[in-house]
Parts: sequence; structure tokens; C-alpha cells
Amino acid sequence: MFEAQGLMVFYENMLALNNVGLSCGDRQIVGVFGANSAGKSTLMYTLSGIMDDIAKKERMAGGERITIRGGISFQGKDMFGVKPAARARAGIILCPERRRIFPESTVLENLHIAGYLASRQQTEETLDYVFTIFPPLTKITRRLGGFLSGGEQQMLAIGRALMAQPKLLLLDEPLLGLSPAIQYWLAKSIKEIAAERQVAIIVAEQYARPIMPIIDYGYILENGSAVIEGDRDKLMNNPDVKSAYFGS
Amino acid sequence: MDILIYGIINSATLALMAMGFTLVYGVSRLPNFAHGALYVLAGYISWLLLNELGVPYLLAGLIALALVAAVGGAMYQLILVRIRGMAISEIIASYAIGLAILEGLRWGGLKGGTFSLDPFVEGSVIILGVAVDWQRVVVVGLGVVLVGLLWVFVNQTRLGLALKGMAQDERAALTLGIDSDRMAVASMALGSLSAAVAALIILPLGSIVVEAGYHVLIMAVAVCIVGGLGSWTGALLAAFVIGFAQILTVAYLGAHYQVVVALMAIIVTLILRPSGIFGRQKELEERV
Repeated sequence: MFEAQGLMVFYENMLALNNVGLSCGDRQIVGVFGANSAGKSTLMYTLSGIMDDIAKKERMAGGERITIRGGISFQGKDMFGVKPAARARAGIILCPERRRIFPESTVLENLHIAGYLASRQQTEETLDYVFTIFPPLTKITRRLGGFLSGGEQQMLAIGRALMAQPKLLLLDEPLLGLSPAIQYWLAKSIKEIAAERQVAIIVAEQYARPIMPIIDYGYILENGSAVIEGDRDKLMNNPDVKSAYFGS
Repeated sequence: MDILIYGIINSATLALMAMGFTLVYGVSRLPNFAHGALYVLAGYISWLLLNELGVPYLLAGLIALALVAAVGGAMYQLILVRIRGMAISEIIASYAIGLAILEGLRWGGLKGGTFSLDPFVEGSVIILGVAVDWQRVVVVGLGVVLVGLLWVFVNQTRLGLALKGMAQDERAALTLGIDSDRMAVASMALGSLSAAVAALIILPLGSIVVEAGYHVLIMAVAVCIVGGLGSWTGALLAAFVIGFAQILTVAYLGAHYQVVVALMAIIVTLILRPSGIFGRQKELEERV
């Protein structure tokens, strides 16, 4: 369903992504794990097309030269170099790093803004769904996005991404800055979303422990390269992965 | 009582003049320094249609609105898109376009006081003992209606909400399928449209002169800076502050100090509270 091959991203001469390939099937959950600066966010931005936009802005302002190479295909269509808005229209929706909630809009308005691509009926239905899986949001619909706690923001960010009717949902560090209890609860919600909304999910995360049990397939990213890949059991039994991510 | 009534009228006029500028800046972070030129252009186009082609008043106005909105959109699509994100270049380019339009009009024969539009309603009315032209009442009434319409547009419609999202976080909006260039074109067209609406309502009070373009731009910038760039409530409030300040100076100091008030307001704001009356965004960032 979704395939990326040979992705290379350069910031000037610095290699941020080195020949990364990745694929994700229907309704699959794929994990991408790695430490800070391993290239997770660069990968997510490249897949969603935001990287193309960043590169364009840098070029116009005479800033850093960013080069992107490789191939991306989604449901049989070539998506490489396609504008981010067009990729979103095709169903690739990114829930970005650090959530990027609209700070001056209320929770409800955040969700309504995200319904830009949805029909009226889809908006109503998805809104119901978001409030069902994230019940804490129902009590704060009128609060401004800027005044939410980290957990609330993350729920809103995922809900907002769902409003855009994704077929492939890219989650960039959804667990960042959350307490362990909420991390596990959110991981469970992500698994439910994949099953109930019939979306494929690629989740990039440095906290592998809560996410590892819910994935079908995973990649370990190190210094911009995918060094290990395999299904859940293979990754969880790999001694290097164990020592790096599970501390045993 | 004079001061109250004329203060309100003057403030509504200022708010109308500044509305388009605030709208574009608030949504696209694009300082449209051709705002005043578009204002005069709208007036001139409808004058041409009325007097040279004999088009009926209402139709001429509508055509002028559509044309000016198209000019605004085209301005972004053809020129500003190339320098997007570089504030100084945007100011220079849009100001240059504005100059080209205004001086082009002057060269094309827009000189002197012979160009004027008829007021919508003739005559005057006595409100609380003060004689007021009907046209000035129309300015206030339509001003209120327009602000209301814009509020509904921004808060209730799909495009309006998308514009609001784009204004707050461009990258987040991009991930949701909201296209930044398309939104910028929409906001420029909409901003130009409100400049044109303001022109058609306000110009019948005087005559269509090139200088009005510069005057409107200065007023729009003053209102936006005093109110806090890109803030709606701020701009409205600032329109009233400057509007009343001007009327008070006219009453107690003399009419020729009127423009100084706007400029003083900019300077005082920049010294005391650089982010304007409603520099809300920065405050929020600091608190979070």
C-alpha cells in the first residue's frame, strides 16, 4: 500500500537520511525507533512532503541547501515530490512532532479546522469517534489549544489528524513528554484506531517499550540509516534492540 | 455630542479602511502595502464603468469589487509567491505594486477633484441634535454588517477556518491538507475585496484622488500597529482609539493635526507596548 525506497536527505553536505526504505501494508502498524537525531522526524517529514516545503522555503530565502532523493509510492501512485497538501488529499496525514496544536483556537475549533478535507457527514461522524476514544476531550471542548496539558494536546493532535480522513497516519513521537501510564494508554488507543478506522499507521518513537507490543513490523534507525528491520518478535528478541530499548 | 457622533463615524471609517490589511496580515503574515492603491483602484474602476460605459450603479460597484479582488489574487499568484516568507521583500514588492497602480492612475488622468461617486442616499438626518449625512450613517451601518460577515466567514466556513489554521501554524495546516499558496491567494483576494468595499462605501463622501491611496495605507498601518498586528479585536479597538483621538484634536487643536495623531499613535505604541494593544500571541507563547 505504501512504499518508500532509497530515501536520501542532505542538509548541505550532511547526510540526514541514508538510503532508507520502508513499507507499510493495509491496516498495518509499522514502528520506526531511534534515538534523538537518528533521523525519525526527517523521515516523517519526507514521507508527508513537509520536507519538500521546508526545502523550498530554504531555497527561496537563500538558506540551507536541502536535497531529497528516492522514491515514494502510495496506493500505486507516485508521491515523490508531490506537494504536502496533495499528499494529505490522497490520504497521507502527518501528526507532527511536538503536536503543533493551533494555540489560539479552542479544542473544538482545532478539530473543525482539520475537517477541511472531510465532507460534512464525515466531520460529524469523526468528531463523535474522536470524543469516544478520547473521552477527556469532551470536558474541554472550549479550552484554547495553548492551555492544554501534554496528554490532552496529544489526544487532540491525533484526533485532529483523524478529522482529515487519513488512509495512512504518520505519528511522529506521540509519546514525547508524557507519563508512563498515559504512554501505555495512548499506545492502546493507537492500536484501536488502526483496527476501527481501518488506517495504516507508521509511528516514529524513541520510547520503544509501550509501542513495540502494538506494531506488526519495525525499523531501527541509527544515524540516518535503517540498521535493523523485522517483525515484532524478531525485533524484541534481537539482543542489540533489547539492550538499547528495553534495558535488559 | 458632536464629538461622540463624529467620533463613531470616523472610527467606523478607519475600521473599514484597515479591515482588509488586518485580514491579509492576520491570515498570511503578508503585509500588503498595495492596500491603499487597491482602494483607489476600486473607486476609479467603478467611476469609469458608471460614467464612460453607462453601467448602472449597483452593477458597476459589483464589477469593481470582482476586478479588484482578482487583481489582489493575481498579485500574489504572479509576484508575491516568489518572495514568500521574506517580510522586507514582501513590503518592498507590494509597495512597488501599489506605487505603480497609483502613479499609473495619475498618469492615466486621475487628477483633480472631478472624479466622484454619488452617495447611495442623498440628504441628511438629525441624530441626537447633530446633523449627519445619510451616507455617513450608511458607512457605520455597513461597517458593522461587514465586520459581522467577516466574523461569520472566519469562524463558520470551511475556507475561513482553514485560513485561521494557516495563520496560527503553517506547517500543521499543511499536514491537514490546507495548501499555503491557495490560502494566500484567497486571503489576498479577500483583503482586496474588503479594501474595495471600503472604497465604494467611503469614497462617495469625497472625491477619488490618488492621495487617498497613501492616506488609507497610513491609516491601515497605524490601526494595525496600535491594535497589534494581525489581531481583529485589537484592530477594531485601535480604530476607535485613533478615530476619537482624531476628532478630539480637530475639535480642540485644529484640523491640520489630524494625520499627526495617527503617526503619533504608531510611535507611542511602539515605545510603550511594541506588540500593540492586543499582542495576544506573544503573551500566550510566554505563558505556555
